[in-house]
Amino acid sequence: MSGNFAPGDTVQVISTHPPGHRRTPYYIRGKVGEIERVCGDFRNPEELAYGFDGLPKKTLYRVRFKQTDVWADYAGPESDTVDVDIYEHWLLPA
Amino acid sequence: MAETDDPRRGYHDIGGKDYGAIDPEVTEMKPWERQSTAISNALGAAGRHIYVTDESRRAREQMGEPLYSDLDYYERSTESMKMILVEKGLFTEEELETRMKEIGQRMAEARK
Amino acid sequence: MAEERETHDHDHDHDHDHDLTFQPNIEDSEAGRYELMTYAIRELLMEKGHLAPDELRAAQEKVESLQHSDGAKVIAKAWTDADFKNRLLEDGNAALAEVGVDAGAAKMTVVENTDDVQNVVVCTLCSCYPRAVLGMPPDWYRSKSYRSRVVIEPRQVLAEFGTDVPDDMTVRVHDSLADLRYLVIPRRPAGTDGWTEEQLAAIVTRDTMVGVANPTAS
Repeated sequence: MSGNFAPGDTVQVISTHPPGHRRTPYYIRGKVGEIERVCGDFRNPEELAYGFDGLPKKTLYRVRFKQTDVWADYAGPESDTVDVDIYEHWLLPA
Repeated sequence: MAETDDPRRGYHDIGGKDYGAIDPEVTEMKPWERQSTAISNALGAAGRHIYVTDESRRAREQMGEPLYSDLDYYERSTESMKMILVEKGLFTEEELETRMKEIGQRMAEARK
Repeated sequence: MAEERETHDHDHDHDHDHDLTFQPNIEDSEAGRYELMTYAIRELLMEKGHLAPDELRAAQEKVESLQHSDGAKVIAKAWTDADFKNRLLEDGNAALAEVGVDAGAAKMTVVENTDDVQNVVVCTLCSCYPRAVLGMPPDWYRSKSYRSRVVIEPRQVLAEFGTDVPDDMTVRVHDSLADLRYLVIPRRPAGTDGWTEEQLAAIVTRDTMVGVANPTAS
């Protein structure tokens, strides 16, 4: 496995909005969370979407965010989370 | 979170918006919907890769917001499959429309 | 979901019921249009050699065979066999293969509800769903209402499904977007001691494995 991040690492999702097929949802871009687990290496969906082979594979992570960090007006306890699966090239160390 | 309409945001990318109350009613899958799903799965099967899930998602994002919102789930997936198969040159829009008319006429004949 | 379903089903039934000289009106009936398109795609692909009848038949059988009762059996086994449950949580695909479920290329990620945590699954970008164990996604899971709201106000959405989560419990939303598919192991309800796997499977509904509801012994 080629990943640069390990469980427990703090990461920030890149805040950019390139055109094309992307699997990183708008609401999570720019947010800071914690690597919950390394999910493995997968063909890059941003390439597969256009008929390419998606190689080299990209490491996929499950990143856990505190809901109160994601939504300014979150109506729930501090402990609530949202887990989002995000590819390595969308993450920066934070 | 301020709900500004950022033009860079895809119309399919709706997490955090508010589309209102959830209708809990569940409908049965129709035979043609099952067939459409089966065709799509067969084309994407291991070793075939004529049409993969990622392409179907991209087609949904490319069909335009009015069509995306107007079509239901299986209509949308059928439209996406058509878009990609036409893009790959497996058949043309014209061939398809002609065949659809023929099938419609055959179905009408069969009902007489 | 109302904005997606519109009235197509009803219009279509109406044609069948009352108009025996049914002329599929390609311009006016969207449901009819996509039904015709499906048949036309099938014919053209077969004529051009891109799809063989036996391939389509096998794919059709596969779609028909996918049911949430498979997921319910997996949950019942997890409730009665702690080692199996741990293997499920560790490597969903491998544990599912043990019981004859092929989860395919997606990574089955199994999460467990506890006294402290309620998990709930969504796909905000499309409608990714663990079809291998739950069959095709229900209408509400595919709806813009569910997809847009459960990620920002999960507790309100769960309440709309009749599931009230107390504030001392954590709600974990899982947005499954690409190569992960989630299956929730619900909490085994009180009053089910000594039940067989079959009895247990019968109370594991589809919604409890998505996390919007919790099973009860009755």
